[in-house]
Amino acid sequence: MEVLERESFLSELGGFLKEASEGRGRLVFVAGEAGVGKSTLVETFCRGERDSARVLRGSCDPLSTPRPLGPLIDIAAHAGGELERLLRSAGQRHEVFSAFLSLLSDSRRPTLVVLEDVHWADEATLDLLRFTGRRIDATSALLIATYRDDEVGPRHPLRMVLGDLATSACITRMPVPPLSEEAVGELAKGSDIDPGDLYRLTGGNPFFVTEVLEAGESGIPPTVRDAVLSRAARLSEPARSVLDVAAAIGFGSEAWLLSAVAGPESDAVDECVAIGVLRQQPDGSGFTFRHEIAREAILDAVPIQRRKHLNHDILTTLETMISADLLARLAHHAEEAGDRDAVLRYAPAAARRARVLNAHREAAAQFARALRFAGDIPPTERASLLHEYAQVCMQVDYLDEAIAAGQEAASLWHDTGEPLREGQALGELSQAFVSAGRNVEGEHAIRTALWLLEPLPASAELARVYSLHAHLRMLNRDTAEAIAWGQRAIELGERTNYVRAVINGYNAMGSAMVVSGDDKGIAFLEHSLALSRDAGIDVGIAGAYGNLGSAAGEMYQFEIADHYLDLGIAFSTERDLDYNRFYLTSWLSLSHLYQGRWSTAADLAAGLVRRPNIAAISRIMALLALGRVRARRGDPDVWTVLDEALELSEQTGTLQRLAPVCAARAEAAWLAGDRDKTVAEARRAYDLAIQHQHIWHSGELSYWLWRAGMKHEVPDYAAEPFALQIAGCWAEAAEAWRALLCPYEAARALAESYDEDALRQALQEFEQLGAAPMVTLVTGKMRDLGIRGIPRGPRPQTLANPAGLTRRETEVLGLLAEGLRNAEIAERLFLSPKTIDHHVSSVLAKLGVQNRVEAGREGVRLGIVSRQDREIETPN
Amino acid sequence: MPRYLVERTFPDGLEVPMNAQGADAMLGVVNQNADFGVTWVHSYVTDDKRKTFCIYDGPDPESIRKAAGCNSLPVDRIIKVSVLDPYFYK
Repeated sequence: MEVLERESFLSELGGFLKEASEGRGRLVFVAGEAGVGKSTLVETFCRGERDSARVLRGSCDPLSTPRPLGPLIDIAAHAGGELERLLRSAGQRHEVFSAFLSLLSDSRRPTLVVLEDVHWADEATLDLLRFTGRRIDATSALLIATYRDDEVGPRHPLRMVLGDLATSACITRMPVPPLSEEAVGELAKGSDIDPGDLYRLTGGNPFFVTEVLEAGESGIPPTVRDAVLSRAARLSEPARSVLDVAAAIGFGSEAWLLSAVAGPESDAVDECVAIGVLRQQPDGSGFTFRHEIAREAILDAVPIQRRKHLNHDILTTLETMISADLLARLAHHAEEAGDRDAVLRYAPAAARRARVLNAHREAAAQFARALRFAGDIPPTERASLLHEYAQVCMQVDYLDEAIAAGQEAASLWHDTGEPLREGQALGELSQAFVSAGRNVEGEHAIRTALWLLEPLPASAELARVYSLHAHLRMLNRDTAEAIAWGQRAIELGERTNYVRAVINGYNAMGSAMVVSGDDKGIAFLEHSLALSRDAGIDVGIAGAYGNLGSAAGEMYQFEIADHYLDLGIAFSTERDLDYNRFYLTSWLSLSHLYQGRWSTAADLAAGLVRRPNIAAISRIMALLALGRVRARRGDPDVWTVLDEALELSEQTGTLQRLAPVCAARAEAAWLAGDRDKTVAEARRAYDLAIQHQHIWHSGELSYWLWRAGMKHEVPDYAAEPFALQIAGCWAEAAEAWRALLCPYEAARALAESYDEDALRQALQEFEQLGAAPMVTLVTGKMRDLGIRGIPRGPRPQTLANPAGLTRRETEVLGLLAEGLRNAEIAERLFLSPKTIDHHVSSVLAKLGVQNRVEAGREGVRLGIVSRQDREIETPN
Repeated sequence: MPRYLVERTFPDGLEVPMNAQGADAMLGVVNQNADFGVTWVHSYVTDDKRKTFCIYDGPDPESIRKAAGCNSLPVDRIIKVSVLDPYFYK
């Protein structure tokens, strides 16, 4: 069949393949409705490039629980080598993915990889797509992934991946439209069917069109399914029977399997190929349907009982050839056959296999399948299954399911009198509660777990519960308790050789110490980091960086915070640990905010807020940063973000989230001139802060109460800079803020004075930061005090760049004017020194000057370079 | 898409020549804005050309600021607004 109206796509793909051969790889998402011809397009392309590229193909199964890493297994089977070895031995995910990546840079020819139907991809394959998409530009490969865009709604997992990859330059989305009326007319030449009617009814869908034309009837069936069935209706009985078997097996059916299940009728398969409902693989190993639509239509037409029998036969036949990769398929056919025993035999095994390959969503689905059939199995078995299910659900954030399953498991073990397992289940249940922000229930579960496990002999379970308890206390800023329980977790963890309890114990202790003002906590956190490294626990490493960065940030130690946050972000990026990366980034945005880099802070925060599905804790901190920047700038949309932040932090009920949100709201209310609201917001979290004796939270909240005119007793442990301001020592306070690297807070302290010099200094700082509300406040104050010579308004700027400099040249000129040398400019802008040399020559020429000093002066004269310090935007 | 009013001050007065260069400058602004998802609807300019009040559609205040930065335009204030048309209620 000729390929109409696809020439532009083919040539675009050809161009990409050429770029790949030059070492500039790319990932292309070919999107379109079912039947629009994505596979045909890709197949045609691959055939054309057979000689110039190495072609690897894999496809995703339309099973409710697809094989984890199915397409990669297909590819590895052909490519062999390291990749195949690692998959067989269930190697570490990072190693498997890296082996795949090196495959893409391997040969002398470019590599063309095709992954079909990724809307059906399992979680592990989606991770692979994300991993590869982020790194493919440095390979010599073109990866084409096809998907049905009409099946990928806003909550579809593929949508997340597409979103994550959207900003990469080496990703292209290629939407394939249906055929035009002209093309349909072209195809309909020589048939009796009216092309206009055909186009109207089929919408130009190529599969539908060809199905109708090849059926050879004079009428047009109303739907695709009818078209498929009418074609199949021409088959003899044995042939139709074989077709049904093929449909039950799947999109592709192995020849041996087909003949084993269909028996003597399998000879009739040739008739199916002749009529065109099935296609034969070139090597004769099997058959495929022309399209998944066709298979679904045929399968739907098979009566239910017969379908069950077919699946039963397929199941028993496949069972004779068991291998790990088959488990998912076996579980699927077992369920379709209604075979309870087989489901219970295969689904849990398939689930465990999926876990090993990090396809957690598929693992959860397999456990859920097993549970559907596990109604009357012995309670201890059911409890075990529920327990595993709950664990997997935790990993994919199905928190409600994890909680329900955990509760049932705990109660079953309670009934059968197994305190050890009951305690274990309750421990994990409490973690689910806390993740869902239901801390009070989590508390209750932990206490019950402790009560159950302590009388029993020492166990790893108890160590784990100790560490969870310490973690909860730390989250609530109960320092002394966190330390005590942390110590117990470490001691018992070491005794029972359960390193995760030790790691979490150090984490809890270290964090608790740092946020109560004890720097020694940093060493504890560093130790937990080292332990995670030794044990190869990636999430432990990223988590430790998160604790270090956020604890330091909470204590206004921004240099230390930045150090750990940068390391943590680099590590999380390398290992695709998005959850950790988002939390670290949210704290980095806060750090930038306090150090006066508002644009960078807003950029990072807005990037996070735009993502629909990030964890509440990351979202809260990002909203917080965005809210403070907007409030301080006098920009709109302050309360939309701060209201959401409040709602989210109230759900957690913890000081750690509530206090900074209320402080930000108090500040915003103050800047908007609403005294009453300032007090109300500060009061919201004040008691909690006092209860926990938090230095900084009680400090800031006290400050806002004082500022709004509320007399109250300031705790003696309140943070020094705030305490100094409240006591009226504005100069010392400003000094203290400067030492903490907070220019806005320093200026705010100066603005509380009645000293002309201090006020001028404050005004200059606020203007430099762009803090419009404070500028207004201070200018007003200065005017009231009768101070003269107040500068009016912002600095001059020109519209278009009069010298005709490009954006890059303007950037270079700005840095040049600051006195940087070419090498330093190159470092700042992440360019080569040679490129900078070119830019500098161009700038000098365009400005008509002889040297850098003159260039700087000319730049200021023309208004291209402003006198204020420029913020350099750092890349993520 | 929210609508914002951006107040700008040009102490030396805003001069946009009525020629090809002026047209280029205007279109340059439009193109740079597109990078940030920002649309310049139109502006009101005072007689002395020292102040403008510009109507923009954009996703958030930060995009407005970034677009302004790229085009070397000053920003005094950003206010969120919605349109009220005299015939809207008819």
